[in-house]
Amino acid sequence: MTAPLASAARPGVDTHCPYCALQCAMTLTPTYAEIGMQSGGAGAGTDTAARPGLTVAGRAFPTNRGGLCKKGWTSAELLTSPERILTPMLRQPDGGFAPASWAEALDLVAERLAGSRARHGADSVGVFGGGGLTNEKAYQLGKFTRVALGSSRIDYNGRFCMSSAAAAGNRAFGVDRGLPFPVEDLDAADTILILGSNVAQTMPPFIGHLEGARSAGGLIVVDPRRSATARLTEDGGGMHVQPTPGSDLVLLLGLTNIVITERLIDTDYLERRTVGFEALRRSVSRWWPERVQQLTGVPVPQLRELARRLAAGSGTYILTGRGVEQHVDGTDTATAAINLALVLGLVGTRHSGYGTLTGQGNGQGGREHGQKCDQLPGYRKITDPAARAHVAGVWGVTPESLPGAGVPAIELLDSLGVSGGVRCLLVHGSNVVVSAPDSNRVRAGLEALDFLVVCDFFFSETARFADVVLPVTQWAEEDGTMTSLEGRVIRRRTAIGAPDGVRSELWIFQELARRLGSAGTFSADPAEVFDELCLASAGGLADYSGLSYGLLDTGEAAYWPYPVGSTGTPRLFLDRFAHADGRARIVAVHARVTDAPAQRDGTVTLITGRLLEHYQSGAQTRRVPELHQAQPQARLQVHPATAARLGLVDGGEVEVGNMQGTVTCVAEVTGGIRPDTVFLPFHFPGAQRANLLTLGATDPVSGMPEFKRTTVRVRALVRTPGSGPAGPVSVPSIRTDAHA
Amino acid sequence: MPEPIPAAPVGSVPAAVPAAVPAAVPAAVPASPAPSRIVLVGYGPVGARLVEELLPVVRAGLATLTVVGAESADAYNRVLIADYAVGRSDRDTLEVTDTDAARAAGVDIRTGEIVTRINRVRRTVTLGDGTDLGYDRLVLATGARANVPTLDGVTRLRRTLMRPPTDAGALDTADAPLPRGVTALRDLDDAATVLETVRSGGRIVVLGAGVLGMEFALAAAQAGSDVCVVYHADIPLNRNLDRGGGTVLARSARRAGVTMVSHARAESILFTVDADGHDRFDALICADGKQIPGDLLVLSCGIGARTELAGLAGLSVSTGILVDESLRSWTDPAVFAIGDCAHVAPRPAPGASTATPAGGPTGLIGPGWRQADWLAARFAAEIEHDARAGAVTSPATAAADVAAPADFGPALAVQAHGVVMLKAEGIDVVAAGDTSADPWDIDPAHPDDGHGAAEPVHGRDCAAAPGATAPRLGVSQWSDPEHGRYVKMVTRGGILTGFICVGMPRTGAELALLFERGSELPADRSLLLRYDGPDVDPAGGGDAFAPDATVCWCNGVTVGAITASAAAGNTDVACIGSATRAGTGCGGCRGRIGEVLERFALTNSTEIVG
Ligand SMILES: Cc1cc2nc3c(=O)[nH]c(=O)nc-3n(C[C@H](O)[C@H](O)[C@H](O)COP(=O)(O)OP(=O)(O)OC[C@H]3O[C@@H](n4cnc5c(N)ncnc54)[C@H](O)[C@@H]3O)c2cc1C
Ligand code: SF4
Repeated sequence: MTAPLASAARPGVDTHCPYCALQCAMTLTPTYAEIGMQSGGAGAGTDTAARPGLTVAGRAFPTNRGGLCKKGWTSAELLTSPERILTPMLRQPDGGFAPASWAEALDLVAERLAGSRARHGADSVGVFGGGGLTNEKAYQLGKFTRVALGSSRIDYNGRFCMSSAAAAGNRAFGVDRGLPFPVEDLDAADTILILGSNVAQTMPPFIGHLEGARSAGGLIVVDPRRSATARLTEDGGGMHVQPTPGSDLVLLLGLTNIVITERLIDTDYLERRTVGFEALRRSVSRWWPERVQQLTGVPVPQLRELARRLAAGSGTYILTGRGVEQHVDGTDTATAAINLALVLGLVGTRHSGYGTLTGQGNGQGGREHGQKCDQLPGYRKITDPAARAHVAGVWGVTPESLPGAGVPAIELLDSLGVSGGVRCLLVHGSNVVVSAPDSNRVRAGLEALDFLVVCDFFFSETARFADVVLPVTQWAEEDGTMTSLEGRVIRRRTAIGAPDGVRSELWIFQELARRLGSAGTFSADPAEVFDELCLASAGGLADYSGLSYGLLDTGEAAYWPYPVGSTGTPRLFLDRFAHADGRARIVAVHARVTDAPAQRDGTVTLITGRLLEHYQSGAQTRRVPELHQAQPQARLQVHPATAARLGLVDGGEVEVGNMQGTVTCVAEVTGGIRPDTVFLPFHFPGAQRANLLTLGATDPVSGMPEFKRTTVRVRALVRTPGSGPAGPVSVPSIRTDAHA
Repeated sequence: MPEPIPAAPVGSVPAAVPAAVPAAVPAAVPASPAPSRIVLVGYGPVGARLVEELLPVVRAGLATLTVVGAESADAYNRVLIADYAVGRSDRDTLEVTDTDAARAAGVDIRTGEIVTRINRVRRTVTLGDGTDLGYDRLVLATGARANVPTLDGVTRLRRTLMRPPTDAGALDTADAPLPRGVTALRDLDDAATVLETVRSGGRIVVLGAGVLGMEFALAAAQAGSDVCVVYHADIPLNRNLDRGGGTVLARSARRAGVTMVSHARAESILFTVDADGHDRFDALICADGKQIPGDLLVLSCGIGARTELAGLAGLSVSTGILVDESLRSWTDPAVFAIGDCAHVAPRPAPGASTATPAGGPTGLIGPGWRQADWLAARFAAEIEHDARAGAVTSPATAAADVAAPADFGPALAVQAHGVVMLKAEGIDVVAAGDTSADPWDIDPAHPDDGHGAAEPVHGRDCAAAPGATAPRLGVSQWSDPEHGRYVKMVTRGGILTGFICVGMPRTGAELALLFERGSELPADRSLLLRYDGPDVDPAGGGDAFAPDATVCWCNGVTVGAITASAAAGNTDVACIGSATRAGTGCGGCRGRIGEVLERFALTNSTEIVG
């Protein structure tokens, strides 16, 4: 390993990157350089105390092997950002914010929440969590909602992320762990099929694990864009398959058809380890290659080559990402990918497998400990009486006192301010104004609330709507655990003290619970909370009961389930699947053929996604100067032929609109996209919010919104004489004008 | 919301039905909402789809469903029959529906039985064994059969008003079976006959070079058979291709080992006599005296809808059973038709001419499946509506309302013509729409364009140029017979209205998408051809050492940034890493950083020396 940036002599603290699910290992070393914090700035606090900074160095670890991406390298800059909020802020009658003491702020919050509960019932208070919270916070947030608030109304932004893959995994395997094998297993594979994930940009160090497949010519990337990941297939690395957006399900059914028809299935495996093959075979009989070509735009020879390659590989992995999952048929699409892996006999072997690439830092752990509306810790169902009894026991309350299942994210957001809906909302680790679909509607919902509390480091676009903003600790200022994309539980460690006015959410929950007179106890010590989480998870699917900080601090590679007395489970499914009979379920799924709109007069399909430089809603990364300078604004990727037809020029201003809303941004003309498709990153706020355009339609199984198949119209913004020169695209305050 | 069901008096004849229905139809509508009785005739792939989609209402006890299918096997996927017939796939890959599950749900499926008669007055159908079945809704999915051409030695039946035989097995042959060694390729029995010949290494003569004939011939050749295709026109697929495309296809087929005999008018058959005294096919004789010997003659001369049952019952019939956009018979509101037997055409207005409408069954399965989905959804909506309302929406009472009632879902999009694609490995042919125009044709709507006037290559092909009456016609063509490639694109106002694509798979796939959506083509049509070029990366081909080329993807570091850093004294990979972070992600680019540095060193050393 080379760690060129490490300043070798000083003692560093070993932790992991704050951002994505790869959770690259890093060492943080205080620089002791005095960095002055400027006051003011976007309504920030008035703390001017100088604080030391941190130096980031990559650290050897199986997932990142010492490497970090640009986001990781620059992550420490946010600790000392002048925009940080350093004291609780209360909205004033004039609409601005004023600093307040913690006691003042917490008293107000407790009073408003209790009042709402008394007047409108417990479910009038809702909680919106995030996939970036530590396991401890996610767990405590679920407990706080159910016990201290007595509300069922909790869900989180993982709905926008992992819910389809999770639902598919649970349905097929009886359990959902993103990668049911260690990442390094990929190194030995000679064939890797990646559907809808641009890992080369979203988690670059991951691509080191694709080297083996690339050198065997077996990296296959399915993406409507010639993304950085798709480019890895060049020069003999493999194959790029470029289907029209939203046709992934048909593509997978077609591949399965070829595998079955050409007798490439693993009959013995199907017999021993699965049920449901017959129904699958019948269902894919409809999807012969030529029909699939007609709906996907992927030529038959390529389909056949791909199917044969998957079957021929001596180690073959199928990996899916948000590109295929963030659709109204996302669960079925992930299921179709799983089915393909099952008929090939890949899953639960030492050389091959199926996995989904989790996006958010703790997207995995965040979906295991009770942030989901229908879930209790340990990936238990809140509707299961045994689960309720167990968890209530750990929490010291009666099972009857626990509320039932709530509603998934989009439904929760749709109920904001609506009669009978949520009137007070707490938001943790999420910037819904930018990240949720149909952004205008979300905004209107937040405005209609009686009371909004946002915990954040910055005045995020969502925090600006809050009545109370509570400043919380950043990753380097806290202890905790994260569960990475491979289901490995890892330690986050404090490298630097938090600024004076900043608190951890655990402390906030404790204080609020006390003020609300809650029955349960809420520790503010992460180690204690983790021990409790482990107890609560005991016997559940995601069983952490054999874990402790002490054990994790030995550096042990701890993959869940890790029940007491075990040594963890690096590879799930080697012997059996988690269903009672030990077999995987092949669930035949169907694709509905829908008419795509005619692509005339600027009508194209919009897909949204991420860039290398930014993470999620960009609330953090847009505040890192280096990242912001590299990608300061939203750029709409558009094919040269489409650009020529619509009179768009590279760098020119464009308007993208539909019934939902209108985005103005600049065009980026590139051959790396299909002519019928445009791409807009979703990291940007204001009039550049990609989610102004996305619909609130959701997957019936997972509640996942449709993010990647939106019909829009694109036109060049022509400057009419007299309207003055258009300056650089500024980020105006949020506008609501609909597309004419 | 207006009441969706017009209160037409029971027993009245809807005014819009052109062919007069006997006054007694329909007899009586049951007063109580007893389960609606649905009878389906034909259990092919389209019928099977209807059954699947109706399962929820059957399970809910809101409808009973009886299916009568002449074939003894459960429904299977006919589209894949050629693959099976040459031994390339197994029988179970043809399975397309779970018949047992449908039975378990309460559907009465009678395979190997035939409907010989529809009694519209009494609303019953008569089966081969004489039993009658009552219906409230009758769906005909009787499909199509292979045409038998006029050939000396083969009996042709005039079926128009012939009653189906009572024996299901003789549905298409009646008392005139095809001679031994002569077969169509449409069902499992045909496939078994073909498979025997393929396995025994016999020589196969295919009569007809349409899509099905060519697909089968190519598949059989690939399976090792000696195959000869005999056809009348100068090119194969002459209904879908033009001379250029057809010629390229014929060449490719020859290269694949198929003997192609064009301009051949088959006249008669020469027989040998089997040991048991039966005639057996020996050779096909053409008008010019050519004799084409073989062990099996496969007739592939098009298909015809099975309409005799409907015709006998007095339902309007053209090239198929005439149904309106709600798939309801023009003649009888209680009768519906879907799939290969259905001819969907708007019902003529009262008093308008009832001359044979344009179009006809597409013979493609996609439209049939859509029809089945749509009809099942409509039935379910009506039946559920009745169950809630406690009244009966007899299809007869709803019939006067020709336009679909709004709350029963959107109207069915009628597909005029589908995309035709040859299912053959290694030979890619896709075509659709009207491709008769030639690049040098004069567009009657724009005569001033003169010969070969190109559409403007910049900007949008304006669909509504001022004063223009019709959208401008544009034809672009690319032919490269040497490499088996040919493309023709026909546009109207820039929108693709027809195309042919041979030997260019990716281009063909993209054109099919553009055609189906009615999308505009890029002004530079050659863009589409480049999809099949070796430089499939349209964005690539740039200089890997250009200053803005990215070297380190993890950290977004360009060649320019590295050389700038090198100029500042960072001359090895590790220093570059410290300074720019290049190579500090996955590490995969360290080799390239080295190359960039080498180049930098070279150019710079000369500078220093010089
Ligand atoms: C070799 C071949 C290749 C093909 N390839 C393609 C392709 O690539 N793409 C494509 O789109 N389409 C293709 N087709 C066409 C496709 O198979 C048909 O569109 C499809 O089969 C139509 O389905 P159907 O259910 O309407 O009719 P059919 O499949 O013809 O089924 C009708 C059923 O009704 C039964 N029946 C008829 N009359 C009665 C009666 N009186 N009583 C009881 N039962 C009765 C018949 O026995 C039959 O089982 C192909 C067809 C063949 C033969
Ligand atoms: S890949 Fe993900 S975890 Fe690794 S440094 Fe980048 S953002 Fe952080």
